Amino acid sequence: MKISDFLSGGKIIAELKGNTKEDIINELINLYADDEKIVDIEKVRKAVVDREKIMSTGVGKGFAIPHAKTNDVNDIIAAFGKLKEPVNFDSLDKEPVNLVMLLVAKENQVGIHIKLLSRISRMINNEDFREALINAETESEILSVFEEEEKKYI
Amino acid sequence: MIAIDYLLLIGSVLVLISIVFAKLLDNIGLPTLLLFIGVGMLAGSEGFGGIYFDDPSLAQSIGIISLIFILFSGGLETNWTESKHIAIPAFTLATLGVLLTAIIIALFVMLIFDTTFLWGLLIGSIISSTDAAAVFSILRVGNIGLKGKMRPLLELESGSNDPMAVFLTISTIELLLLPEKSFLGLTLVFVFQIGLGIILGFGGGKIMAYLVNKLKFFYEGIYPVFALSLAIMIYSLTAVVGGSGFLAIYIAGIILGNIQFVHKKALIRFFDGLAVLSQIAMFLTLGLLVFPSRLVEVFGFGLLLSGILIFIARPLSVFITMLPFKFSFKEKLFTSWVGLRGAVPIILATFPLLMGVENSLLIFDLVFFIVLTSSLIQGWTINPIAKLLSLSAPLKRKYQAPIEFSSRNDDDTDLIEFIVPFGSNMAGKQIVDLNFPEDSRIILVVRDEKNIVPSGGTIIEEGDILSILVNKNNLEAVRKTFF
Repeated sequence: MKISDFLSGGKIIAELKGNTKEDIINELINLYADDEKIVDIEKVRKAVVDREKIMSTGVGKGFAIPHAKTNDVNDIIAAFGKLKEPVNFDSLDKEPVNLVMLLVAKENQVGIHIKLLSRISRMINNEDFREALINAETESEILSVFEEEEKKYI
Repeated sequence: MIAIDYLLLIGSVLVLISIVFAKLLDNIGLPTLLLFIGVGMLAGSEGFGGIYFDDPSLAQSIGIISLIFILFSGGLETNWTESKHIAIPAFTLATLGVLLTAIIIALFVMLIFDTTFLWGLLIGSIISSTDAAAVFSILRVGNIGLKGKMRPLLELESGSNDPMAVFLTISTIELLLLPEKSFLGLTLVFVFQIGLGIILGFGGGKIMAYLVNKLKFFYEGIYPVFALSLAIMIYSLTAVVGGSGFLAIYIAGIILGNIQFVHKKALIRFFDGLAVLSQIAMFLTLGLLVFPSRLVEVFGFGLLLSGILIFIARPLSVFITMLPFKFSFKEKLFTSWVGLRGAVPIILATFPLLMGVENSLLIFDLVFFIVLTSSLIQGWTINPIAKLLSLSAPLKRKYQAPIEFSSRNDDDTDLIEFIVPFGSNMAGKQIVDLNFPEDSRIILVVRDEKNIVPSGGTIIEEGDILSILVNKNNLEAVRKTFF
């Protein structure tokens, strides 16, 4: 169970275009527009936005992890995107965000959902990893940063 | 000792042997049904056990009871949101596909054995349906991950095609014994059976969910018993009034499995266990019932018919039936290959035996042989074939959740994950000092992917994932604790 497995297959955007929280979330979810894991894409958007209203998922260090649990997906989906210009995400530390990881799980996937969140949080904590992510320019470079980092976790 | 003590001892020993074998042979991928039948054969009068069992009527009853539980449990675990968009092709396969298979087999039997069309149709009908128990046990227990719509399609097909096979078999027997029966009359009977099966299954499932939710029992152990009796009633009532009980119980299972009700997890586990036991009991009994020496006698014809079923009849009917639907060539090929035959044909083969059809013993042995070869050849190779056709997917992670929670619509609680932000005021504090609202609880802390069961003294760290059971009216108070 690796984040990079979920991201392989074109689920990375090296340069997000959106300049609001909502646009960014939509851009990442759109990567799954024709994916068979999606039951109803509009409801997936709503679930993520609703969860964002409870408390921002901007967790500091320039990172946000919009996430949700909903039965409008059949299985876990994840996507990652980078921003050239940091965007306000209502983070607790008030700092704008330039790295965004989307994670949506099915309602009965509580356990795996938490584990994946914890892995992302663990990776974010590693300064070298964040540095490498910021320096990576293309989608495939970003993917290999994730792959390299996850080799450390088993 | 009285007779029942012996029976129980023999029965439990056989089941235990089956389980031990299943465990030992786990990694060679042999379909478990073959294993259970094998244990039954070995225990039988021609094997080491020397148990003489020759009672098709008892075997039929055990088979029917087992199928009720297997189909109900299969329905309960069917994910309807995943299955609904392939329901139409699945049901077409389950009806038209079954009919085509039966007819194609009938024509070949007619040619090879030089019999009447009806006699051929009897064999064709008996082996026309794919087996839910076999397909479920291979797709669910086996280490098989399938891409996209393949799995729901195959499961839905196998769960719903038995009524058609039962109908075709009974009708053919009636036509053989009472030639004056009209085919039109029988078609009406079929429509009636399916219709009643759908209506009573649907209604039964809804009523069951309503009752389970509504009735409050003081003793929790009552719920499974209550659900069990309702399930048996849905089957038997439908069958008694002339509908297809198998279809009804499968649909009731799907309905119930896809709505929320009290003790859902516990009920699903209960029926899962029951279904496993049913499978073992059923295949053991069928293994005891057959005489291996007679199987050897039908080896030649059996193999020929299996070949025709596997390589001609099933693929032909699948390709014709799926013509109007959007499936790739590979998917059709794979669907053809997962034409596993199982308990239903063997149970159906006891019908002509009990109804005194000519040569019915030969039919029984042939059918048994075909089931064995089908599950051996197809069952054993599903995995490699899926890989070959690049339809296999990484196995669904069967991750055991540390916490299971299903929110019900009528209350205010929900389980929500929070990531403790870097720089949060919460970090470094003990839970007891957080000023947490009374009706919300941190029930799990996950740090570096490890679960920590929190207590008042647990110190929260940055980056922890908190699983919080919240009262939705109190979200703001929970939110504040982070700042």
